[in-house]
Amino acid sequence: MAGIGFVLRRLTRQDDLTGVVVGYVYAALVSSGPFLVTVIAMAAVGLLGDAAGEQPAVATFRLVTIYNFALSLVCCGPFLLVMTRYLADRIYEHKVEEAPGMLIGATAVTLGLQLPLVVWLYFIHADMTLPERLAASVHYFLICGIWLVSVFLSALKDYRAIGYSFAGGMALGFAAAHLLLPDFGAAGLIGGFAIGLAAIFFALTLRVMVEYPYGILRPFAFLRYFPRVWQLAVFGFAYNLTIWCDKLVLWLAPEAETAAIGLVSNPAYDSAMFLANLTTVPVLAVFIIAIETEFFERYQTFYRAIEQHATYREIRANQAAIARTLATAGRSILLLQCIVAALAILASPALFAALGIDARQLGIFRLGTLGSLFQILFVFLTIVLAYFDLRMRLVQVTLLYLGLNAGLSWASLAWGFAWYGYGFFLASLLAFLAALAVVIREVGRLPFLTFVKNNASIR
Amino acid sequence: MSTRAPADICMILEGTYPYVAGGVSSWVHDMLRTHADRSFHLVCLLPDRQERQHRYTVPGNVVGIDHVYLQEIAPGSRPRPGDHRLFRRMESGITAMVRGGRLEDLARLDAALAPMRRRLGRRRLLNSAAAWQSILRLYERELPEASFLEFFWSWRSMMSSLFAVMLADIPPARLYHTISTGYAGALAARAHIATRRPVLVTEHGIYTNERRIEITMANWLHEVNAGSLALQRKKRDLRDLWIDSFTGYSHCTYSAASRIITLYGGNQDLQRRDGAPEDRLLVIPNGIDFDRFAAIPRVNGGRPPTIALIGRVVPIKDVKTYIRAAGLLRRQIPDLQALVLGPTEEDPAYDRECRELVAMLGLGETVLFKGQVKLDDWLGRLDAIVLTSISEAQPLVILEAGAAGVPTVATDVGACREMILGPPDETPALGDGGAITPLANPQATAAALAGLLRSPERLAEASRAIRERVRQRYNKRHLDRIYADLYAETMALPDAAPVHLHTPRPAGFFAGWRQKRRGAA
Repeated sequence: MAGIGFVLRRLTRQDDLTGVVVGYVYAALVSSGPFLVTVIAMAAVGLLGDAAGEQPAVATFRLVTIYNFALSLVCCGPFLLVMTRYLADRIYEHKVEEAPGMLIGATAVTLGLQLPLVVWLYFIHADMTLPERLAASVHYFLICGIWLVSVFLSALKDYRAIGYSFAGGMALGFAAAHLLLPDFGAAGLIGGFAIGLAAIFFALTLRVMVEYPYGILRPFAFLRYFPRVWQLAVFGFAYNLTIWCDKLVLWLAPEAETAAIGLVSNPAYDSAMFLANLTTVPVLAVFIIAIETEFFERYQTFYRAIEQHATYREIRANQAAIARTLATAGRSILLLQCIVAALAILASPALFAALGIDARQLGIFRLGTLGSLFQILFVFLTIVLAYFDLRMRLVQVTLLYLGLNAGLSWASLAWGFAWYGYGFFLASLLAFLAALAVVIREVGRLPFLTFVKNNASIR
Repeated sequence: MSTRAPADICMILEGTYPYVAGGVSSWVHDMLRTHADRSFHLVCLLPDRQERQHRYTVPGNVVGIDHVYLQEIAPGSRPRPGDHRLFRRMESGITAMVRGGRLEDLARLDAALAPMRRRLGRRRLLNSAAAWQSILRLYERELPEASFLEFFWSWRSMMSSLFAVMLADIPPARLYHTISTGYAGALAARAHIATRRPVLVTEHGIYTNERRIEITMANWLHEVNAGSLALQRKKRDLRDLWIDSFTGYSHCTYSAASRIITLYGGNQDLQRRDGAPEDRLLVIPNGIDFDRFAAIPRVNGGRPPTIALIGRVVPIKDVKTYIRAAGLLRRQIPDLQALVLGPTEEDPAYDRECRELVAMLGLGETVLFKGQVKLDDWLGRLDAIVLTSISEAQPLVILEAGAAGVPTVATDVGACREMILGPPDETPALGDGGAITPLANPQATAAALAGLLRSPERLAEASRAIRERVRQRYNKRHLDRIYADLYAETMALPDAAPVHLHTPRPAGFFAGWRQKRRGAA
């Protein structure tokens, strides 16, 4: 009799459980790193332009840089994490032949989608000279290219190549901008930096091609991941919009300025916030090391032990080890970031005086520093959620952060200059607390998630 | 319960008719056509909702077919906070079931589920946090040392099937006839609890025994104490959990059934071991069209002594032993013809090995592979047939050949002994219709064949004995009447007394009593 036997044999198909284990190692770099690059680049050029006495050219450059980085991050955001996931799954399957194809395909798709936006922004909306329009557009697409290629670097885990490429490219861009500024003005500054960005982009692409020496196979295959992991696309979009949306809202403030070329900004708020964001640089290193080493090890132990027939008691012990690691890492990140924030806040009056920044921005800077503290902790928690493949939770906390940041920034706008910065600070604090509650709950029921809730082989 | 008009008989089928071709399915199909005057409602238990083709044209007296998907229950409503209480209520019933439960345990579980049966499904029973907590409690209680991964999957699979059975609609019928124990048997037992109508069980193979073999051989189960010396008694492990749960379903089926039928006496030992009450046991073998095979004319002269193995050329038939026996027998009967009548395509590698063995033993002239043939053309020209199988249930070919007056030398498997030598209680004893030999023993097979072929008197005696036994005991027309009478008699039974819910054991009773006192104080 054809009994229940064939049903029993189905049980051997347990490999889906391990399919959950994918690498999101660099979501942190992908989401935070580029933002810092932006800030550093702007600070550098600000110094350059001020020294040369070319304030209008510097103003144009700053605006283009801000717009390009903000827009490109928001527009590429949906792609970055979906690509990261696709690549991680291919690596898991040992089928990386598609990697170079995906880079080409993703570049084509994102550029194709964003071309109309860029054309509208620089050729229709903004009032610029033709060289400026062209330089700004090229600058934009190079930034997009860098975001896309960084997805692959995250899989390579070659920090050194990334570091050298960025440092070298920035130095080259700085030098080129310095050389071109006297003769070409704003177009020279933007174009000079575009040269630096091009150097970064090609160096990184070369590194990827060396790692994956394959032809271009199925360049658009990754697109079929969008319906499957749409939450990652939403997350990528919403998070990048979140970190820019308080600035966007504050561009509506009475203190905002519309430059001659027709682009809006709020220099007082923007520069204070950018400076505040710089305080998260030291913690990023700690953060990546914590995730990459101890947490990842515990994480693997947890899943591997299940596969290797651990008892439930052992599974619980491994779960507790994950929780401990997270708590320890969280504590050291919090501690370090608190120290940095405290130092920055204490040192800010002297620093602002030395840099010649308007003292009225001190309040915004302090709030921005505190907000950045919670923002980086929020990012830490989202990575934990991504590791456990809790994509819906990821979307929920990020949309909450977006809503809070937009809403509270809007409120601060209504209450006036004294309140600027409170929106971002409170939004970051509340989003962090929400994400913390979610992570505590989910890590607390990790075995249930692993076996039932998040198990792809369970109907 | 639905408002449908009751069918005469609700037949409960697990993984077979009409979706799978095979011995049991052919039997079911034949039953449905034979009892054309009865209306049947079929309940088919299938593993999943995958699309399946009918392999048989279901006859018109089948008034409905229900499906129960063991590994894919419907989603049902969403989990709610009170589900923890539901699981607490069910747990003692579930625990009892996986420890070799009884009908009362099933009734208790049924009662716990009854108030919300319509709304329950996999979301609440398998995928909820309450279900998870319940799994953890049972793991700690049953097998805290086992691989949790395997416990989880095993448990889930067991519970999915059990809940599928517990949630299934029971079509109204005057009689529930299950064609196995296992989940089909459990469903029949539930039907008995719910409707108090009688249950018949007909077992072809013994379900629990088949599962026991399958689970013992299963390589998908991780061996926790593999390699440890068997000094201490082996701890209870997942295999025991599986086997005990199947034994429990057999218990329930046998307790609910008014008759426990199988094809031959040998199976009854296994049924007794799983708790079947002696007074309900009954053998009803499969029969054949005696008149048709008895009419085949015998051709005795003008041909060499001829034997045949009738069956597929596959390892389970152990054709190699047959070939070796033919080699031994040829030393005594040089002009022997040893035929293999049956398809050779199923296992080409084994077929090739057999032909190589024939060549190696120099039997090219003796052993002839004829492929699939029409049996009627050949039976008249055979002196004896040979069955060297290592496993059989009730091979009808022995009866078909027997009706044509051809005795059989067969291995001691399934119903062979009963068919060839007669059951122990045969009166008057008809004598041996051939011989029974040990498994994989060419010498014994050759010796038994020589005994028949070299003595025309013994051959004639065996021929007469087997033909007479088939006429008396295995005539399909006669057996059909037995089933018809059994159906009529069982359907006419009044409703049974309700199954009492199992009263808690004393310890549990006092624990509850103490708790109540404490609550009152």
